[in-house]
Amino acid sequence: MHVQITDLEFSYGKASNAVVQNFNLHMNEGEIVSILGESGSGKSTILRLIAGLETPSQGKIGVGKDTYVDDQSGKILPVEKRGLGMVFQDYALFPHMTVGANILYGLNKWKGPARRARLQEMLELINMTEYRKRYPHELSGGQQQRIALARALAPQPPLLLLDEPFSNLDAHLKHRIRDELRETIKYTGTTTIFVTHDQEDAKVLSDRVVLVDKGEVKKTGTPYELLKETTVPQGIGGAQA
Amino acid sequence: MPFLKRPSLAAVGWGSGAVGFVLLLLLPLGFLLYRIVQPPSENWNHIQEYMLLGYTIDTLTLAVSVGVLSIALGTTLAWLISAYTFPFRNTLKWALLMPLAIPPYIGAYAYHGMLNYTGFIQRTLRTTFDIEVSQRYFDIMNIPGAVFIYTIFLYPYVYAITRAFFARQATTLIENARVLGSGPVRTFFRIVLPVSRAAIVGGVTLVMLEVLNDYGLVNYFGIQTFSTAIFQTWYALDDLNSAIRLAGILMGIVLVFLLLEKVFRGRQQYSYTSAKASPLKPQVLEGWKKWTALSFSGVVFLLGFILPIFQLLYWGMLTYEAIFSAEFVSLIRNSTIAAGISSLLVVVFAVIIANFTRVASGWFSTVIARFTVLGYSIPGAVIAVGVISFFLYAETQLQLFYAYAGISTELMLSTSLVMLVFAYVIRFMAVGYNSIESGFEKIGRRYSEASRTLGMGWIKTFFKVDLPMIRAAVFSGFILVFVDILKELPLTLILRPFNFETLATTAYRYASDERIQETAVPSLSIILVSAIAMFVFHILIEKEPN
Repeated sequence: MHVQITDLEFSYGKASNAVVQNFNLHMNEGEIVSILGESGSGKSTILRLIAGLETPSQGKIGVGKDTYVDDQSGKILPVEKRGLGMVFQDYALFPHMTVGANILYGLNKWKGPARRARLQEMLELINMTEYRKRYPHELSGGQQQRIALARALAPQPPLLLLDEPFSNLDAHLKHRIRDELRETIKYTGTTTIFVTHDQEDAKVLSDRVVLVDKGEVKKTGTPYELLKETTVPQGIGGAQA
Repeated sequence: MPFLKRPSLAAVGWGSGAVGFVLLLLLPLGFLLYRIVQPPSENWNHIQEYMLLGYTIDTLTLAVSVGVLSIALGTTLAWLISAYTFPFRNTLKWALLMPLAIPPYIGAYAYHGMLNYTGFIQRTLRTTFDIEVSQRYFDIMNIPGAVFIYTIFLYPYVYAITRAFFARQATTLIENARVLGSGPVRTFFRIVLPVSRAAIVGGVTLVMLEVLNDYGLVNYFGIQTFSTAIFQTWYALDDLNSAIRLAGILMGIVLVFLLLEKVFRGRQQYSYTSAKASPLKPQVLEGWKKWTALSFSGVVFLLGFILPIFQLLYWGMLTYEAIFSAEFVSLIRNSTIAAGISSLLVVVFAVIIANFTRVASGWFSTVIARFTVLGYSIPGAVIAVGVISFFLYAETQLQLFYAYAGISTELMLSTSLVMLVFAYVIRFMAVGYNSIESGFEKIGRRYSEASRTLGMGWIKTFFKVDLPMIRAAVFSGFILVFVDILKELPLTLILRPFNFETLATTAYRYASDERIQETAVPSLSIILVSAIAMFVFHILIEKEPN
């Protein structure tokens, strides 16, 4: 298994209610998994735990040959050593850097010519070569999203994390970008975890859907298996399957 | 198995810097407390019996009267400018902030000069209109005069904070009141004042703290407040012990004011950050109303800025030849060096502490943040006695080290600029910190997190992402602190090295020597720098989208 997450548990401060509990997820390389749940279900926290932005109170996280978290040995790999790619809900493109500098940011350990080649490759991948010298505020929401994806994919991460990447986009734009996103991810073969509250997004984008409620996995299956049923918890937005 | 949870490296890194600074800040205050519980000197009985009541009454009368009048003036002007359109409104919007560029002691020199027997008002009345007036009506060197001076130069604190609140947070409520048929006066008293209570209280607390801190004006007018008493007890009676006791009582008064601020604010917290409301749409005033609004705000601007500036300019023209000399260049150099070094230290510490409170949420970082801004509420005279007691003690402990290092002098730190810079940093930390903290608040944590997921450590992330993004806030913090230090008087007077004169101390010295006209050039230099800084900030803030 490429991604192995076992018995993950997390609570904020000294609060007794666990935000995430007993969370297990195993993924094959190249697989796209959606974590689907309503707001407050703990799905974004799961992503932050995998990224290393929060520390779990218990559990194991391993990706490829690396162990990120192991509660037996007490090992916690710092966030910057994990080498993951993450696309934030609001993209978090550095506003004081150009598109090119944003994409190059994660490639600081690469050699000069390889860096330049990778930048060119990423810009071509997202069809934005002519935007290299633009600043984030000069781009539309959809373009910013593509840059954020390119920035996350550039260092060839073993796992890509997407946190509600369509929430800032208009509905008509979303459909096109969603298809593009799946195409790009599949083209690069990157293993991806995608967090969303929208069933339609989960259906279109993912190979497998994990339904989460109160920080626990309620169901898991292919989008077709899972979303044809009508047992999705109330309050989950998006088009009905 | 909760052992996985532990503080992050970043929190520990920033935390050690923050804790180190706060300890340094608390040491002088600790010394003050320690000295207060020592047995009193002989002078103290005399002070307690004959002087203390007078100090308390004068200090409280000034602070409370100025507070009340500043609320009246500040909120009225803020409401006029925010809710109505009338001729020159856009100019007055920033012009009404300008009195803040004139420190009250300089304002006092100018007004005394204007109103005394040889001043231009009485002279014009005598020579042009042949009118002799009773000096009673023109004597400003008393408590009502001081209240007028403080109010006219300090009301902008209330004006600025309240106006920002009206413009950004009260719009929906005010518009709702209008829709419900509420007239302007009723809206002002029933809606505007109550909802902006927290902002008004915040502003007026700053005004009162400035009054408690001031030394230059009350000394010049011969009013006995705690600030002047601390100086006199220390210098004239050479009794540091009693000065420390007075400082302790003054600190008690400050604490009462701060407590009252909490009570009056209630549960409302004043902040810009949640503001997403559109700005208030001003109504057009017509006829006599528009001229009344213009005259009222125009007169305030005239009294708070134009008149004193003209007076100073006139004096400046009479005296500039005598003042511009090598000595004046050294004044500017001294002021710039002292303010520059201190402002730089303030922003460095402020960045460390603000970053710590950002990465480590919880009670500990809250306590650290509270202590950091403590200095601004402590009057300069109190900080001065705390710092000097601390340095005197520290130097007696350092004697062995001096002997070992071959330093011949007994007092090295306390006769150098170090002591003054140390005190400035304590006093003005809050100004730099607030600016930088708001910068961090605006960017949030998302960008740092993005950088960390892209493989950068916390130090690199700080220099490559955080710092460039908050550089405007760092720059603002630096300038605000720099200007405040340039105007500062009580700390500078007490703690400067021997023969170290700044623009502020020189203006003070000339005024004390009754060479009032010579105060103009150093005063105008201070005002010019302050005014430019304030104008730039006004432009920056106006341009900000949120």
